Amino acid sequence: MLRSENPTRPTTIDELLSSQLIAKISQLDVSSKKIFAGKLKGERRSKKRGESVEFADHRPYATGDDLRHIDWNIYARLDRFFMKLFMEEEDLSLHIVIDASASSDCGEPNKFYYMQQVAMAMGYIGLINLNRVAVTAVGLRDELVIPGGDKSIAGNIRDLRGRRRTHDLARFLCSIEPEGSTDFAQACKRIAMTRRGKGVMIVLSDFLMKEGYETGLRMLVGRGYDVFAIQTLSPQEVEPDIAGDLQLRDVEDGDMAEVTISAPLLKKYKENLAAYCQGLRDFCARREITALTIQTDTPIDTLLLDYLRKRGVLR
Amino acid sequence: MTWATPMLAAIVAAIAIPALVILYFLKLRRIPREVSSTLLWKKAIQDLQANAPFQRLRKNLLLFLQLIVLGLIIFGLAQPRSASSVSSGQKFILMIDRSASMASVDGQTDLGKQTRFEEAKKQAIELVQSMREPSMFSQGEKADEAMIIAFDANAEIITSFTSDQSELINSINSITQSDAPSSIAEAYRLAQAQRPKRIVNATNEAGEITESHELDELKGGEPYFFHLFSDGRVSDIDSVRAEEVDAQTTFEYHAIGSQSSNNIGLVALRSERDYDTPSKLSIFVAVQSTDSIERTIDAELIIDGSTRSVRSIDLPAATIDETTGQRTPASGGVIFELDEPNGIIARVRLDTNGNENPEADVLLSDNEATLVVPPAKQAAVALISTGNLFVGSAIQGMPLSRFDTITPAQYEENRVSGENDVYDLIILDGYLPKKDEFGSILDPGRYLILGEVVPPPYGVVDKGVGSGGSIIDWRRTHPVLRDLTLDALLLAENPIVEIPEDSGVISLAETASGPVILETSDADVRAIMVPFELTKTNWPFDVSFVVFLASTVDYLATGSTVAVDQNERQIVPGNVLSDRIPADASGVRVLLPDGSRSEELIPTADGRVVYGPITNAGLYRLRWRGTSAPTDVVEDGTNYRTFAANLLDPTESNVSTQSTIALANQIVTADSSTQRKRIKDWWPYFLMGALLILLFEWWVYNKKMYL
Repeated sequence: MLRSENPTRPTTIDELLSSQLIAKISQLDVSSKKIFAGKLKGERRSKKRGESVEFADHRPYATGDDLRHIDWNIYARLDRFFMKLFMEEEDLSLHIVIDASASSDCGEPNKFYYMQQVAMAMGYIGLINLNRVAVTAVGLRDELVIPGGDKSIAGNIRDLRGRRRTHDLARFLCSIEPEGSTDFAQACKRIAMTRRGKGVMIVLSDFLMKEGYETGLRMLVGRGYDVFAIQTLSPQEVEPDIAGDLQLRDVEDGDMAEVTISAPLLKKYKENLAAYCQGLRDFCARREITALTIQTDTPIDTLLLDYLRKRGVLR
Repeated sequence: MTWATPMLAAIVAAIAIPALVILYFLKLRRIPREVSSTLLWKKAIQDLQANAPFQRLRKNLLLFLQLIVLGLIIFGLAQPRSASSVSSGQKFILMIDRSASMASVDGQTDLGKQTRFEEAKKQAIELVQSMREPSMFSQGEKADEAMIIAFDANAEIITSFTSDQSELINSINSITQSDAPSSIAEAYRLAQAQRPKRIVNATNEAGEITESHELDELKGGEPYFFHLFSDGRVSDIDSVRAEEVDAQTTFEYHAIGSQSSNNIGLVALRSERDYDTPSKLSIFVAVQSTDSIERTIDAELIIDGSTRSVRSIDLPAATIDETTGQRTPASGGVIFELDEPNGIIARVRLDTNGNENPEADVLLSDNEATLVVPPAKQAAVALISTGNLFVGSAIQGMPLSRFDTITPAQYEENRVSGENDVYDLIILDGYLPKKDEFGSILDPGRYLILGEVVPPPYGVVDKGVGSGGSIIDWRRTHPVLRDLTLDALLLAENPIVEIPEDSGVISLAETASGPVILETSDADVRAIMVPFELTKTNWPFDVSFVVFLASTVDYLATGSTVAVDQNERQIVPGNVLSDRIPADASGVRVLLPDGSRSEELIPTADGRVVYGPITNAGLYRLRWRGTSAPTDVVEDGTNYRTFAANLLDPTESNVSTQSTIALANQIVTADSSTQRKRIKDWWPYFLMGALLILLFEWWVYNKKMYL
């Protein structure tokens, strides 16, 4: 809840992804409710019949088909051309959106560090499974971070593929500084416009946005992306540990709220928080977004191996 | 309830309460905190408060607690007090009865829990606490002052006038119970002595004072308010005079104890030795009962630590006055008889079951009494002889305190100087004293006259010499002849005597020719006369002669005082132990009943030592080194003389509390309301309440259990 006084800022990949975690998640793969088409031949089965060695079906020959796929044995028996269809293996886009606003830099354990770790782990899973991994940091900045980009995007790395890009991913994640506010809707619009291919999109944020998350999420669904919204909250946001007469200042917009902490106020706060999270889940459910609220004191491996697998993000 | 300083409190309240409320209206200085988002907080605040300040106040427990604390402190500042009819600056005299009857265990309705004395102290402390103390904020008011006097048979000022309540309470607590009877006269005198004497001014015509003198009898100054804490069993209560001040008597009687309490107590204990046989000791025990029913109790006689006899005593019911409820005690008694020639310490104990059941006997200290019985008296004997071997040697063998052989000439000299009075018995052996100027041969005293015929008025008429012979009859029951036989006595000759008519002479033994042993007695003189000459008989060679001499000495000398002189060894608590010991005594101390020893006493030049006053009943042993008197016990070169302090007071043993007491000038009824109006300062309680709430507030604050 409160801004972290000495937040952990990872500088190396080891701080983002421990070797123990690597051992645990190496067997995982990014999953989707649908099998998505990709640009490059990946390890993934596609709905498209393709060029793998795995036979899928036959279909009658049509003019222009590759002669190499004609099943000559059938032609010999039936004297007609049939095309052998094979399972196509494709790569998958894994697009991770991470909230790099100042509100992420709060809580103990720090929310942004937690999101960085999740993004790294997810990205690593994507990379080792030859998926196309992209990470976009969302945060309103005064100047353009990416040439030709948008002020609402605080950073972007894309088209990473293969295990050897792991360090690129780590370097990028370490380079993001959480600050400023967000223009979530604008950022999502930008992401939706620039993303390529189809795949899985994971949005890591606390979703505590005054302007609302609805517009942004609405833009992200569709276009072939399976969207997962992981709401990351610090334990102090769930169970506030503040007392007394306080002047609460919003780290993003400087908004003030004067409160005298009392039992009814805390009760009301918790009710509001629960309703807010429920609202997020309801909104997501209606739009086929899988939503998940996680506290930053939850171990990363529990999140990955348990929660995300249950929800079909990983398998 | 009154307020000592209401204005001060009002001013403080006028300032502090609005200030506190305003402070709450004003926003507090809030601690800034940066949070990830105020989104949810704003919603929560909006939901919670409709921005109404009074709603905010209404729900603020902390403010309420602070208001309560403030209120309590303000109430405390106003110094609330309970209403009181007592005007300021009074002088109290608290007279606390510590006599024996106050040891009754009916101080509270629940018997056996508290003695009257403890209850009296408690009530006295309550009175002290109700005294007006000087106000904290104004110096104008005078505080009440009190003086504490404890009295039993004597009175003692425990504390002089002071308004220091803690000192008064401490000194009340320091008073100890005694076993003495009660007498208030001295206490009253002590109290009145504190008052200034009334000064009478003589004035001339111009009104100027020409002469002024003090009157000893009349007292001036402010009247004293007497508070008597007693059960009313005070023998000389009529020595107290009460005054009237503002239609209020200056004498208040706080009756302690219950009118209907039952007590059985020893009221008298005496011993007497039998006239005829001094070794036969009778111990008379008188018991008094205030029980409304008949009782039978056991009296136990303990001699030198071991029970000698147990006798039961039937006590009739005490009579109860229907109107006043006062009880007239019933009495009973028992006599223990024993054969005890020696000096003993006899203790009588009543078994009244009072230990187990306080209803049966509320006062236990009067259930026991001790008696120091001196041995049968040893005689001082003088032998006036011309040199009779038989008599002198026989007497010398007897246990006598003094035995002197005196020549007739010396005896006559002593008669003139009166020195013969020291002898209990004078043996005239073959010698008759000369007639004095009044014509009397025998001075007042006891005599054994051998070998001479005493002429009347005490004696007999000499009729010449008889032929002697044996004794044909003698009074076998007479103390002198009881233990012997005269059968063997043979007389060569004997004077024939004739007993004059109307004389006090009786014959004790007779031969055929008339009386040979006679006794004469009147108010002054008692004598055994043996007219015949011993040398002309075989008696000196017979054992009966020695027995006769011994019996005669016993009879005449020791039996001369039949009642044992117990008084000098009995002390009534409240009096001093005073006795004379040999002048060479050193290391004189008194061993007290509780086993401790007194300081060393320094005897006066004539050997008198004084210790006391004795407050507790029991045995007191005077101990010294040096020579001893005949009755003293000597152990390892140290002499002991035992004294018994006993209550033995019918007034004290009648424990029925007096509801009214008759003073010299009026009858005072007991203050029935034991709770007297008291000035009670309440402000400490308010402050204490404030402190408690402050603690609670602190707890609430830390628990975050705010409303």
